[in-house]
Amino acid sequence: MTIARRSLSLAKTYPVIAVVLTLVGLGLGASGTSHGISLGTIGAKNIGNATNSGGASTGIPFLAVPLQALAAMLFATPVVLLFVYDKNNGVLEYLLSLGMSQRDIYRQYLKAALILAGAIGVLDVIVDIVSGIISGTGSVLFQIPLLALILGLSVVSLVTVVMMSFSSLQKQRVGSNQPLGMSVGAFLVLPTYLIPFVVSSNAFLVDLLWAGIILAVSLVMFVASSRMISREKLLP
Amino acid sequence: MSAGYEGKQVLHEITFEARESAIYVVLGPNGAGKTTLFRTIAGILEPYSGRVLFDGNDLNRSKEARKKINYLSHYNALPEEMTVRHALDFYAKIEGGKTEDAISLLGLEELKDKKVSDLSQGQKKRVSIAKVFLQERDLYLLDEATSNLDPGVSKEIRDILLKLSRERIVLYSSHNLYEARDVGTNLLLVRNGALAYNGKISDLRSKEYRVGFRTATDISKIVDAKPEGGYYVMSFASPEDAGLTLKKLVDNGVIITEMRELDNPLQNLFEGRLSLSAGVLDDRETDGNVG
Repeated sequence: MTIARRSLSLAKTYPVIAVVLTLVGLGLGASGTSHGISLGTIGAKNIGNATNSGGASTGIPFLAVPLQALAAMLFATPVVLLFVYDKNNGVLEYLLSLGMSQRDIYRQYLKAALILAGAIGVLDVIVDIVSGIISGTGSVLFQIPLLALILGLSVVSLVTVVMMSFSSLQKQRVGSNQPLGMSVGAFLVLPTYLIPFVVSSNAFLVDLLWAGIILAVSLVMFVASSRMISREKLLP
Repeated sequence: MSAGYEGKQVLHEITFEARESAIYVVLGPNGAGKTTLFRTIAGILEPYSGRVLFDGNDLNRSKEARKKINYLSHYNALPEEMTVRHALDFYAKIEGGKTEDAISLLGLEELKDKKVSDLSQGQKKRVSIAKVFLQERDLYLLDEATSNLDPGVSKEIRDILLKLSRERIVLYSSHNLYEARDVGTNLLLVRNGALAYNGKISDLRSKEYRVGFRTATDISKIVDAKPEGGYYVMSFASPEDAGLTLKKLVDNGVIITEMRELDNPLQNLFEGRLSLSAGVLDDRETDGNVG
């Protein structure tokens, strides 16, 4: 939790943008209500079918998924900034001297990024449930924020590992390869913009599968990077 | 052991033992390999060959062994967005120890609620040193601990180290011979990544700091100076002593037109020209097992 707190105190613009993006995502997700797409009545599998029956506009609620995943990525980005900052001012070197391995250190920062991404994702789910109760529609499209949460955690996991690896390997003490990490993240969520419009049915499951693939790749990357990147790469 | 960065060897077959509780000063010019030596001992860098053993445990392999040592890098390694107290709490949570004790030891009471980023370099250094004393360790590695500190605080730190060294092993790096002589009992001289000398500091014949004064009058009646090549030449134990003599001359109304350093033992030591009373160090490179 300390790393997550420190990250947020270090960079406040990213969380603000992330919250705005989340609100836009929530708005898009809620727009499904106006098209009569209610999980309570048609079930998750039929959201994709609703795209066929209701036209392209019924796929719009699904756009909340990549938007909210991007919001999670932005919300967790300060963790990587902190990683680079700690590397440059010798904090990581000190942690190594205390007996931590490079894997321990990567894990700590990854955990912090997932905590932040999870926090904003859970907030999405809660807001959706509360707004559903208030509007009397029940848990309308509850699975969209849930899917966004899963995709967000997967993307954040991979992007954080990628950015920490690149930042460890770079020789010049500049930046954090942050634009590169953002690009990777944006590329990873790109398919989820298209899935609801391209895949006429089971959009939910295809998105879920894509999130699973990203998560699996991130786990492989994490294991590989913490084994292959030597401790000296974490020195200032 | 030998070690370095990205395959480039910096340390060349260094071998030494530190058995007694004492301050071992690792002396050498900038770029000699002192920090690399400390990082390797601390288990941060993996040696290319050889091992670093502490109580029989390989520091590079054993996390438990590494927990018996503490390393002060010449980077402050402080979370700058935190207050001093929170920064020390941050490390206390990881390595144990009491923040208040460290604050008290280093006299940080007035600074404890200030943000680290608002502190001067010297104050940051004190906080950085405080984190090393959060928890008692068996071996301390202090890389240029008193750089950026004013003389008063430097002395306080040295006093703490002297007290500590009665029961602990302290490796203390410096590029200042005079500081080394004040602090330590044993000397490890590192030059070009190799150990050039390993022995007692008392063996150093450092009273060879020679200064020439060019004056309008004969000063040999005021101080113990001998005329030599147009200068009145004196030998001192340290530059500070030369300063005191300068003050004495000025107080006596002597007009000094030039003051020149003729021979600096620190420079000579680093360049390998200084002879030691033990007769170990001379123009030749010596191996790491000397002493």
